[in-house]
Amino acid sequence: MASRWADDDVDKAEDLRRKKEKEEKKRLKFQRQQAEQAAAAREREMESRPAKRRRFSDNAASQEVIPKEPPAERTLLCFEGGGWGPCRHVSNFETLNNIEEGSYGWVSRAREISTGSVVALKKIKMDYQRQDGFPITALREITILQRARHKNIVSLHEVLSGSDPSEVVLVMEFLEHDLKTLQEDMPEPFLASEIKTLLKQLTSALSFLHSNHILHRDLKTSNILLSNHGHLKIADFGMARYIPPPNARLTQLVVTLWYRAPELLLGTDQYSTEIDMWSLGCIFGELLLKEPILQGKNEVDELSRIFALCGLPTDRNWPGFWRLPNAKGLKIPRDSGAKSGGVIRTKFPFLTNVGADLLMSLLSPNPEHRPTADEVLDHMYFREQPKPKPMEMFPTFPSKAGQEKRRTRSPNAPKRGQAPGMQNVDFSGIFANREEEQAGAGFQLRVA
Amino acid sequence: MQPSPLANPLATVAQLETSSSQLDGVPQDLENSIRFAGAQITQAAGILLRLPQEVIAQAVIVFVRFWIGSEGGSLAEFGCEQVSAASLYLTTKLSAYPKSPRNIINVYAYISTLTSLHPPTDPPGPDTYYVSEGTYQTRRATLFATEQRILQTLGFNVHVSLPYTLCITYLQALDVFSHPRAPELAKRAVAYLNTALLSPQLLYLTHQPSSIATAAIYLAAKETGIKMPDVEWWEVFDTGREELGFLVVGLLSVESFAEEERAKWEGRTVPISVEELEAEMRRRDGGE
Ligand SMILES: Nc1ncnc2c1ncn2[C@@H]1O[C@H](COP(=O)(O)OP(=O)(O)O)[C@@H](O)[C@H]1O
Ligand SMILES: [Mg+2]
Repeated sequence: MASRWADDDVDKAEDLRRKKEKEEKKRLKFQRQQAEQAAAAREREMESRPAKRRRFSDNAASQEVIPKEPPAERTLLCFEGGGWGPCRHVSNFETLNNIEEGSYGWVSRAREISTGSVVALKKIKMDYQRQDGFPITALREITILQRARHKNIVSLHEVLSGSDPSEVVLVMEFLEHDLKTLQEDMPEPFLASEIKTLLKQLTSALSFLHSNHILHRDLKTSNILLSNHGHLKIADFGMARYIPPPNARLTQLVVTLWYRAPELLLGTDQYSTEIDMWSLGCIFGELLLKEPILQGKNEVDELSRIFALCGLPTDRNWPGFWRLPNAKGLKIPRDSGAKSGGVIRTKFPFLTNVGADLLMSLLSPNPEHRPTADEVLDHMYFREQPKPKPMEMFPTFPSKAGQEKRRTRSPNAPKRGQAPGMQNVDFSGIFANREEEQAGAGFQLRVA
Repeated sequence: MQPSPLANPLATVAQLETSSSQLDGVPQDLENSIRFAGAQITQAAGILLRLPQEVIAQAVIVFVRFWIGSEGGSLAEFGCEQVSAASLYLTTKLSAYPKSPRNIINVYAYISTLTSLHPPTDPPGPDTYYVSEGTYQTRRATLFATEQRILQTLGFNVHVSLPYTLCITYLQALDVFSHPRAPELAKRAVAYLNTALLSPQLLYLTHQPSSIATAAIYLAAKETGIKMPDVEWWEVFDTGREELGFLVVGLLSVESFAEEERAKWEGRTVPISVEELEAEMRRRDGGE
């Protein structure tokens, strides 16, 4: 059901979408029947020619007449991997309203004129490099999204081209909300059972991506979409890339500041799926508190907030820390031991012990201590009470994307350019205020 | 059903029936010759650029996809050399081995000076294929424009799943690596995967990587005399007997096709630019 707050357009769009979905299902069923019939026919044909294999293997090289036309079975295969055709023109769609202007392009809700179906169009901003031809970032976004077919990843229908050859537009399924805008408008945070449903969907998408060697590299609530039926999908693959061969160097200029893993802030150029797991931890915390948990003003501030929340790196919990490029410029109290541990438990008082265990493991400053997506899916957290809420039971919310332009206030993913270094930054003071805050808990910081 | 991330998009029957080049009056046999030459040029350029075979194979497949169907690219509009270069450029850009336009342009300039596509083991110095700054600028503009056209024509479907890793995995699954001649078997199987890239039947556009790998193993096992399980083992790798048979015949026929091509173009070069194609068509109209 469309929400009772949503305007007519959204209702209509929803109806159309349903209708289309139904038609699509009908079509698929028909296709499957046909495929099954074709398979049955092939079986019969095979039975009437039992000597086939011998013929191929024994005098295989014989200049047998090769059928010019591929046999009918080919249609069956086409179906698995899709096909291709030239890009259609953008004029096949009409814009209904703009949704948001982001860092790499702009997104609108639109209608396909011939079918009436409502979609989201994302126009990719092309900072056309005269040196490099078609921008690699846009190419990655498109090719990765094409391959990343999963129920919790936004589906890309096709790519359109405009009259100007550098105009490239993605046609995606439309979802009513993104998690950032939605949370800003909600009076209360999601319920514990709802958070589990969201986190589970998000983690299955990540597990799929990582097992297909894809890093998202810009996970944050504004890049996570939610339908009015509680269905979550990851979007915005503008930073994504395939995991390169071991030891290849990667840019550290990825992931929006508030979701950026400490090893990236410390300038590593060899990283992997753990950076997405860090972002997942940030999102988990944000769902619990209904606001971003590590709102740093700059790289150094972000890092000190991380250490304040999750604890200082020590030789024991993060032996590789001092080898990271930016670590040399830092002054960090050594051997501060258990007393400089994190405060996750106190900051998330409503979380169960099991939940806190999961959050703390995701927010391990040492990337090696973070769980993989599959390990998260197996975590007790999803099995203990309250159980994840079934999607059908999810509340619906008024959709802003259906009507008005959203505003962005949080920082964007970093742009290419100079990575900041860190020189002579002293972290000794980051627990200064905590002594008073935590006095009751018997907390004391030994400053180096 | 969602397309599997391991499956390739395949050409439709309609796309295989006709091509943009044929609609523009290019005879089908000439089209086959040019496509065959283009695939070989791409392979040769890839080797000169020291690219892994996987990257070269992807470029060849993108190159072949471009010409298919009435909405594909036409040889009357694009030279095959230019599309080969742009396919390679585009593919390396998406790979872990990006090559600069300068690299690509130099290598193609060098190839155009060769008389045979088997590059000498000791390639000549860079000055033999130096291009002037003016020529470089023009060729780079063509490279970028062609890249753009490939993307549009393929609706950005430029990612390719390949059978190379699958092939090795299958050999492991078949437990053949304990056999003393297993390395030879693996080598021959991989050679067949490369052969398939040159197939006039466009095997990579009509079959999934799993089936191509299976057929390559089947043939390699036959040739090395290594015994495969007595059961219909290919079915384990999602390949039916019918499809296996089709692929085996297709793979074996590439060699005779190559032979015929060599004989046909003895002492002449295959037209790899639009101008050369036009000249060849005039020659045919007048002469034959
Ligand atoms: N498929 C979609 N359906 C509905 N809204 C979308 C969709 N895709 C993106 N949006 C909205 O547009 C915003 C920007 O899109 P995004 O892909 O993140 O672009 P950018 O790369 O500019 O950040 C998202 O935060 C979300 O609000
Ligand atoms: Mg975004």
